[in-house]
Amino acid sequence: MTRSLVCAAMISVAMLLSTGIGGAQEKPPVKIGFVTELTGAWTFFGTSCVAGLKFAEKQINTPGKRKIEFVIADNQTSPAQSVAAARSLDVQDKVLALSGPTSSDTGLAVYGYAEQNKVPFVVPVAAFPQLTKPGSRYTFRLEPDAVGWGYAISKFVEKQKPGGTIALIYSDYALMRAITAGLKYQAPLSGLKIVADIAFPQGSNDATVQAAQVLAATPDYVVVIGAGGFDNTITNQLLDLGIKPNQIIHPFGLTTQVMNWGKRSIGSYYGTFFDSNLDALTDEGKSFVEQFIAQYERPPSYGENFCYVTAHVIREVLDKNPEAADDREKFRDAMSALKTKETTSNIPIEFDKNGARKEYIYIMQITDIVGKAYKAKQTFYTEWDPEVIPVYTLVK
Amino acid sequence: MSNANLIILLSTISTGLILGAIFSLVAVGVTIVYGSIWMPNAANGQFFLLAALFGWTMTVSWGLHPAIAAVLVIGLSVPLSYALEFVLIRRFYDVPNRNISYFVLSLGITQILAGIFAFTYGQWSDQFQLPPLIGGITFIGPLPVANNRLLVLVLALAILAALFALLRYHRYGRAIRAVFQNRDAAALRGVNVKASYSLSFALGNAVIFAGGILFALAYSFDLTIAWTMSITAFAIMIIGGPGSVLGAFIVGMVFGFTQAAVSTVASPTIAAFSYLGAMLLILLFKPSGLFAR
Repeated sequence: MTRSLVCAAMISVAMLLSTGIGGAQEKPPVKIGFVTELTGAWTFFGTSCVAGLKFAEKQINTPGKRKIEFVIADNQTSPAQSVAAARSLDVQDKVLALSGPTSSDTGLAVYGYAEQNKVPFVVPVAAFPQLTKPGSRYTFRLEPDAVGWGYAISKFVEKQKPGGTIALIYSDYALMRAITAGLKYQAPLSGLKIVADIAFPQGSNDATVQAAQVLAATPDYVVVIGAGGFDNTITNQLLDLGIKPNQIIHPFGLTTQVMNWGKRSIGSYYGTFFDSNLDALTDEGKSFVEQFIAQYERPPSYGENFCYVTAHVIREVLDKNPEAADDREKFRDAMSALKTKETTSNIPIEFDKNGARKEYIYIMQITDIVGKAYKAKQTFYTEWDPEVIPVYTLVK
Repeated sequence: MSNANLIILLSTISTGLILGAIFSLVAVGVTIVYGSIWMPNAANGQFFLLAALFGWTMTVSWGLHPAIAAVLVIGLSVPLSYALEFVLIRRFYDVPNRNISYFVLSLGITQILAGIFAFTYGQWSDQFQLPPLIGGITFIGPLPVANNRLLVLVLALAILAALFALLRYHRYGRAIRAVFQNRDAAALRGVNVKASYSLSFALGNAVIFAGGILFALAYSFDLTIAWTMSITAFAIMIIGGPGSVLGAFIVGMVFGFTQAAVSTVASPTIAAFSYLGAMLLILLFKPSGLFAR
């Protein structure tokens, strides 16, 4: 009897202790599946994105907060592999949400999976409009859509040269088709005329003849959107033939691209959503730029910034809605209701009913390139409603 | 003719010449290997890219002058080729229907190299641009042409001329041609056929490497160039006649001009498919190729 009482007492103490210890244990980390391009054609963008994400990951996991763990998976720049990775992260890792693609093609693949399986999907950098097409419920995109960029470029040219003429020379990729669709729609509405429209198939390597055709069309501005290294080829061949740098507009410019264009492109314009030369960087933005340069010997681009900001957005949503950390529907609702600002530039972040963000773009002009650094000045800024032009019908 | 039209015409000619010379180099390299050892080398595009990537590393990362880098890259192809020949290629010399075995082998090499490039160079794939060999612009009529590209054209044509001289006048070249024409008869005449195989493999790859580094000196590139160049070189070899060096040269130049001209009068998209259409047509009427031996 005495022995049974002692045993019962010991078991009770053990249970109490275990309950106490269990109560003090931290909750498991919140897992976010990050499907991105670590190999394949879009590697330069995926690896840059992860670089930005890693900076943020250190900052958002401060003591006392529930840890957010990004489970990174390589999609090999392949839509099929993206879906396989998304499924594995959903089923095996049981992530709260998906994120990560920086290419529209892989982004659309994950979008299909996420919407069908009701997994929240936070897109850092992928600009094809259909990622937030009407009816989207679980997808939220930080980057403005590419048709809108074309709209904004028209607005820029309208301001610079009312009644001006534009030549388009671009690679035939989904992203480029979207940008030029927006530009071609808006140009006549802005009183502009398209005088050349030249698309190159994927894998092109020479643009001399087309540069000559652009020259013959005597445009006021040339919008250049080559894919990868071909962007430099087009740019150089236009400059070789006598097109002036300040006639050239690149709808988007990554840091590495600006360096590749080189000194002879001083005076050219490029669009961006974040730049180390922006007037309105916050203290955190400046710190991000400094730390990034210290580690990678170059300033971050908008790609790195969007991935950095994505991590901060998820942190903010979970801080404000702790119950959303274990419930996908609550996380989706919290994302949908989010009203915040980019921590690096104070640009507002809020999503419309389709998960598209209030859109904006900066147009920068290159003023100097020295070694691995460059200077650019902000010449234009505009914001617009995601559906200011029919973005979802212009590009399917 | 207006100045604008003259610029377009001249740019079409200059582009045709430069592209044609580089296409010819690669196709000649592929056809030397095929003519000698019956290896339809599907990895030619990856070899071409390897040369370009080596050039980029040497100039951009190591700071070498592009001329020195070009010489080193072409030189490097020789030990690499002999090593590959020693480890893999020679094992199939006596295999019946070895062209099929070689094709599958070269597809394997293609996959391995593509994977290695993706892991090692993929993150810089938007940055592959070499510094020019020389600066400045030369005006050809109203058309400004970068001196660098003119020099690339001259070098490509010089390498092709040297190659033809080697094949025609040097005893090693004559031995290679003898093996091309009839390897049994060549062996009876005292030609060391196995040594000729090794030499052909190294020579063909050296020419492909030369094409790769010259292309990288004239144009920016990315990892997709391997696939484009592989298809182009095969198409040229098939139209020219497998094993015909002269055919590869002439059809390569015609391809360059065709691509430039069709992209002027139609569009770059149609130009990209035009030579494949031409290949299919010629195969319909002359399946052995235009210059078949």
